[in-house]
Amino acid sequence: MSTRESDHISSAQQTLEILFEMSELLNTQLDRETLATCVGMIEHGANPEALAAVIQELRRESSALNAQTTAAVGTR
Amino acid sequence: MPTLPQSLESLVTSIIPATRDNSRYRNELVSHCEDILSSHIGQNQEPDLGYLADKVKRHLLQTSPSGVASLKFTNLLSRFLDQPVLSRKHATLLFLQSLASSRQTATATSFLPSLAPPPPPRHSSSPSPVEPSPTTRQPKGKSKAEILREYRAKIGRSHLPEQPLLRDALYLLQGISGKYVHFNLNDDANSEDTLVFVEDPRYIIAPPTKALIHRLSEVGYLYTRVESFVRESEASTGVGMIEQSLCHHLQSQLTEYYRLIAILESQMASKRTRVDENRTSDDDQLGEESGLTLRRLDVWINEWRLRMRMMSVCVEGARDAHGGALVNLIHGYADNGDPFVRKFTDQLLEEVSKPFFATLHKWLFSGELYDPFSEFFVALDPNVAHLQYVHPSSLAGGIGQLSGDGGFAGLGGDADDVTGTRDGGLRLWETKYQFQKDMLPMFVGESFGKKIFSTGKSLNFIRYSCHDSDWVVTREKMSNTGGTLKYSDISGLERSIDAAYLTASHRLFEVFIEKFKLLDHLCALKNYLMLGHGDFADQLMEALGPSLTRPANTLYRHNLTATLETAIRSSNAEKDPSDVLRRLDARMLEYSHGEIGWDVFTLEYKVDAPIDTVLDPDSMEKYLKLFRHLWQMKRIEGALNIGWMRIAGGARNFLRVPELEFEWHKIRLVMAEMIHFIRQLQAYCHLEVIECSWKILIDFLNKKEGDLDALIEAHRSYLNRMVKKILLLSPKTGKEETVLTQVKDIFSIILQFREATDNFYNYCLSESSRRDEKLDADRGVVTGRGVREDSGKHSTETLDGLLERLKEYGSSFSERAQTIVQHLQVHPDLDCRFLGIRLSFSDFYRSKKEHSQKS
Repeated sequence: MSTRESDHISSAQQTLEILFEMSELLNTQLDRETLATCVGMIEHGANPEALAAVIQELRRESSALNAQTTAAVGTR
Repeated sequence: MPTLPQSLESLVTSIIPATRDNSRYRNELVSHCEDILSSHIGQNQEPDLGYLADKVKRHLLQTSPSGVASLKFTNLLSRFLDQPVLSRKHATLLFLQSLASSRQTATATSFLPSLAPPPPPRHSSSPSPVEPSPTTRQPKGKSKAEILREYRAKIGRSHLPEQPLLRDALYLLQGISGKYVHFNLNDDANSEDTLVFVEDPRYIIAPPTKALIHRLSEVGYLYTRVESFVRESEASTGVGMIEQSLCHHLQSQLTEYYRLIAILESQMASKRTRVDENRTSDDDQLGEESGLTLRRLDVWINEWRLRMRMMSVCVEGARDAHGGALVNLIHGYADNGDPFVRKFTDQLLEEVSKPFFATLHKWLFSGELYDPFSEFFVALDPNVAHLQYVHPSSLAGGIGQLSGDGGFAGLGGDADDVTGTRDGGLRLWETKYQFQKDMLPMFVGESFGKKIFSTGKSLNFIRYSCHDSDWVVTREKMSNTGGTLKYSDISGLERSIDAAYLTASHRLFEVFIEKFKLLDHLCALKNYLMLGHGDFADQLMEALGPSLTRPANTLYRHNLTATLETAIRSSNAEKDPSDVLRRLDARMLEYSHGEIGWDVFTLEYKVDAPIDTVLDPDSMEKYLKLFRHLWQMKRIEGALNIGWMRIAGGARNFLRVPELEFEWHKIRLVMAEMIHFIRQLQAYCHLEVIECSWKILIDFLNKKEGDLDALIEAHRSYLNRMVKKILLLSPKTGKEETVLTQVKDIFSIILQFREATDNFYNYCLSESSRRDEKLDADRGVVTGRGVREDSGKHSTETLDGLLERLKEYGSSFSERAQTIVQHLQVHPDLDCRFLGIRLSFSDFYRSKKEHSQKS
């Protein structure tokens, strides 16, 4: 591994770290992995607001699923 | 690198673990997410990093008011921006921000109410027309606006982005139609110009934006009007100087406006380039903040809207107004409480009034009217513009000739020439320049306008009519050092006007009195035409008397003038300056059959330019009228004097007819009454009228105030006063000359009486000589031809006739005198009333009247 590449990786790490801190600060409740995925998508030209909407949507979906399962558990 | 669906899949699986084993459900979710990603949500949001950061900070401050979080965020942000890895930092940040804000609302609704204050409404009304809130399929919780937006997104008619509209707006400001917004310019001036929005099926323009663009386009519309006016005036010829300077001012204002537009345009362009640059430097935050939006544009242009309105109003006014009236119109806006309007108008006036003041300066200090477009409030009458005064010096030969052969020249041609040139003087003065009130700028004021008018007129008069241009030129040079006149220095202007007015009128008086010897002429008129020189009048009367009793057609002008010369030479009049004497002339009026010399004889005084401005032909006419009346009076007086000498001296000495003594006594009584009458009348005319009026006139002349108009006016009132009082005119219409006719009647009665006494005297003379002869014959001395017996009988009849006539004339004189006194006692003029008192000093006529009433 060349030093240049390692530099690149380390700086990417650093950036991600900063972003994660920001995300924490803003209480986005994203984990590191998801955040990295999202940043990657944005870097590739995804519409950031649309992406945010996607996250929201998925969360809502997931909570709805959870509610369904808990309800199922409750009835069971 | 994972592709988009792969990344999405990993996202879905990480967030919803249940999808790991349900691939159908996962695929459904992924495709749905792809749908969302490809939508246009938040596309219109401007990439303004500073704004975004600010928003995040505000958000953080709300959730944790201590400020630690926001401080930390700032720190993180700066570090983040230093990182070289990511290319779309802004987008990443936006992602985090939108997630954070939506999280908060989500938590606020789904969990316990948080302690933080509810999100401000600002979140829902972000500057972009499209809210970047997520679009979901879930029907509940959506506002009407969201539904509408969703509908629009679905049918593909979203709001038009601001960028092209901004471009259009900038075009509109220059009066050019844009891509989406057009001016609907009508060639017909009456119909209103409107703004048309292009109907595009793909886009709609929100009504508030439309309103904003309407507001902006007002400026553009006004701009086109102002600009077309400027262009028109520049193209057309014969535009007044004031209008030209108005155009110039407008043009410079428009240049300012262009500059503003250019700045705005460059800002718009720089904003676009900075979007691309913002990844490299972070001072772009400032640049981003000063980027252009429609609203910012509105603010920028706001001041210009007012200015454009003012300019457009001026332009509108300039279409009908002209010159001074235009200045007036602009000045009408100067009295405004709004300091902006006031300042603008003042500036405009300062510019616009420059040509006016240039003209004013020329007029005020050199008496020249340089006004090629007739914008000044003094207008030249084109009919008399070519006329110039005829000056004695230029006519030196002509005058010499006049005085040389004036006496022998015929009545006709000479007189015509004189009146021809005479007409000029006053007419030229009064009509050459005209005062135009509507062209006078209001800031000058009417009284000052009059002064300016009169000053320039005086200077012009001095220069061209009095040929004293040297003085005017010197004055002009002196005045040039005193600084220029301008609008902002009104008090200085007033001072200069006052000073110029004073000097000009002073100079005019000097010229008239010293150079043209106005006073000498006035004196001469008083002394000769109004018989002020008693000895001259007596001489003239004595010399002319015999020849004037002859019929008018036997008189010749050369005889008259020769007699006049004699009279002048034999009286004190010869000591008068020759310039005055050569103007004096005797002539006869137009006569008809049966008139005698007395009726047609008149003295004449000739004046020429520029004195005839004051002594105009009308005035000379009045002088002649006065002369005839006074001359008549003089004649009566002379006749009575001679008659009185006869009856007082002669009758006593050698009329020895004792039975007629009583008749003589009666004659003496009547004659004494007549003498009293005529003496009082004369004294009144000379002492109370002429001298008093003269004193008023001289007082005025010594003051040397006022202009030529005032001088003319003073002389006119002097003359009118004399005419009114000497001719005993009454102001009542239809009865003006009642007293005058009676006085004239009385004059003729006196003359008839004089004749009758002469006849009676002759009769008595012959009677007494007859008696003497008779006595001689009784003594035996034969003197003469012998006594005829019948003559005595014949003479008693004659005597009765004579006495009868004497009595008749005497009583009619008394009656007339009585009526005159009555009339005078109720005369509206006080001086005339005093004459009435003088005539009947001891109530002679009243008691007589009572006496006659009693009997």
